[in-house]
Amino acid sequence: MTAQIVDGFLMLLHPVTFLYLIGGFLLGLLFGAIPGLTATLAIALLLPFTFSMEVSDALVMVAGIYMAGLYAGSITGITLNIPGAPSGAITTVDGHALMKRGEGAQALGMSAFASAIGGLTGVIILIALAKPVSSVALLFQTPDKFSLVLLAIVTVTIVSQGSLLKSTTAMAIGLMIATVGIDPMLPEGRFDFGSYNLIEGVNLLPAVIGLFAVCELIAQAGMPARLSQAQAVADLPAPRRRDFLPSRARIREVGLFAMLRSSVLGVLIGMLPGGGASMASFIAYAEAKRSAKKPEEFGKGSYEGLSASEAANNGVCGGAIIPLLTMGIPGDAVTAIIFGVLLLHGLVPGPTLLSDNFMVVSPMFAALFVASILIFVSVLLFGPVYLRLSRINRGVLYAFIGMISMVGVYASTFSIFQMWVALAIGVLAMLLRVCGYPVVPALMGVILGPYFEEFLRRSLIVSKGDPSIFVTSPISLALLLLTLGFIWMLRIGPARKAGA
Amino acid sequence: MSTSASPRSTRQILFALLLLAGNTVYASQVLQMSRPFATGEPGPSFLPALLCVFVYVAVLCILGTELRKPAAAALAAAEGSEHVPQVGWLGPVLAIALTASFVIGFLYVGYLPAAFAYTALIAGYFNYEESGHFRRAALIGVVTGLCVTLFGWLFFVQLFDLYLPLWEI
Repeated sequence: MTAQIVDGFLMLLHPVTFLYLIGGFLLGLLFGAIPGLTATLAIALLLPFTFSMEVSDALVMVAGIYMAGLYAGSITGITLNIPGAPSGAITTVDGHALMKRGEGAQALGMSAFASAIGGLTGVIILIALAKPVSSVALLFQTPDKFSLVLLAIVTVTIVSQGSLLKSTTAMAIGLMIATVGIDPMLPEGRFDFGSYNLIEGVNLLPAVIGLFAVCELIAQAGMPARLSQAQAVADLPAPRRRDFLPSRARIREVGLFAMLRSSVLGVLIGMLPGGGASMASFIAYAEAKRSAKKPEEFGKGSYEGLSASEAANNGVCGGAIIPLLTMGIPGDAVTAIIFGVLLLHGLVPGPTLLSDNFMVVSPMFAALFVASILIFVSVLLFGPVYLRLSRINRGVLYAFIGMISMVGVYASTFSIFQMWVALAIGVLAMLLRVCGYPVVPALMGVILGPYFEEFLRRSLIVSKGDPSIFVTSPISLALLLLTLGFIWMLRIGPARKAGA
Repeated sequence: MSTSASPRSTRQILFALLLLAGNTVYASQVLQMSRPFATGEPGPSFLPALLCVFVYVAVLCILGTELRKPAAAALAAAEGSEHVPQVGWLGPVLAIALTASFVIGFLYVGYLPAAFAYTALIAGYFNYEESGHFRRAALIGVVTGLCVTLFGWLFFVQLFDLYLPLWEI
């Protein structure tokens, strides 16, 4: 395996592959730094282009976007009190307090340093654990796989903000969308209303583009410019480049061990389906505050708090990829789209991926490692430029997003019908957003729906309709208990505490 | 039960009713399939039937919750645009209409004219909403339309060698 990892690093030395990494990294920074845009959207936009790329190059580029996007979400959070992504929300509390104290550039530098530590820790754990975890995953039978998919769907649903009923409904809508088209087990069309277009079903790409890109365009069109986050960015003065280098005293004050601890927390949370960067940054922040020498400074401009949340949210990057590659379970929206990239290239994420195609994914591991280092390099090189990126004219930005999304759908499917599907799903996603239904469970439903249905039906066929098959298999039973445990820890427990 | 609903509740109720209608259409198709376990196996209608029942129950619960909610005493007036009245619904409707027109235009006139018109109008709308200057917004729209369309052609056709119907007039 070591030789294959080294080969992965050597593949990055190929000029074209390295350019894909740099391109992806810059795209991730761009989308992460612009409020309203996310790494998820960047990867969704990239999806059509991965068709004509080598799969390794596509994964390298996606890795660059993922790592950079998670970091860049904190930039506008620190400078403007507006997190570029939900995972930057807790960073914003201390980061912006530091900004108001005139230490904005130091805060950005420290945030990049902690993110780099988090990213590197995540990749090292990913490389160490990926193969062993996939060996265990090979023992999974069909009922176990069903329980695993159920765990992923349930966890993503219950960690969504707001009403549990609404997030469950959104997930069910996603599953319903996934049932359109040819039945996964019998040559029989479903929900096609006699249309040959609907028999092919809803492709993954139009669903992703609709849920993220088209929905964002529609949402922004209804938001006055003076209320938009991008407008606030326009008035910010650009800091000098040298101000971004964190001082040694500052790093010593925070402590490398504390950053490593937050990073490991991020990796562990990233490994849980539905964990995500937001949850990781919140939990790491809470843990850092619990063990800090000066907990009273948290929330008022603490470098410890800032570093904890940033190290954890980049640690998620390596952690979230472990269940994706080893068990075929995407833990969040980005890994769900990476799942799509692999599927589009005929690779099925799961236990056999690493045993049969390790060479294909090893450059991605190397890319995540290098991208972590690039985070720190980038803040020194482009620190002042990050803020200028946020000043792009909204009209130009959304015209570009609209065109590239719709043409991207056509270019990848050669189907006008799929362009209509993307628009329809975009409108549906907008209605969901407006009415407080989270969109990510719907995406999980669309992506995992076919697997959910296939494993459920296969299990019931094997057991002749007896549902006890899911509790008689030890692995399945353990996963079902884990699902119940998550429901208790993430929903019932907090609700009881709030009620007490 | 409250007799008057806040605008937010009305929106929630309307969307819940829309979901119920969509679910009924979905259910009508489920009924046309063979019943689950009719042949001893779950069959293609098994999961859709479960989803259908679930969505009916969930949406009815949401509807019940919304109808029981007390009307908001005084909702803060949503801040509007200085230059586009009712931007909250007009903007999204315009964006949807323009995107739909782009898909139609893409089919009948080709990528180049459709993408130019679409991107110019989207960029023009956002800039007009922001500045209120029609000429300036139109100029930015035209320049954006040209640049983005050219970028798309270079990106899709030249760089990635993908087929696009460029000019169908």
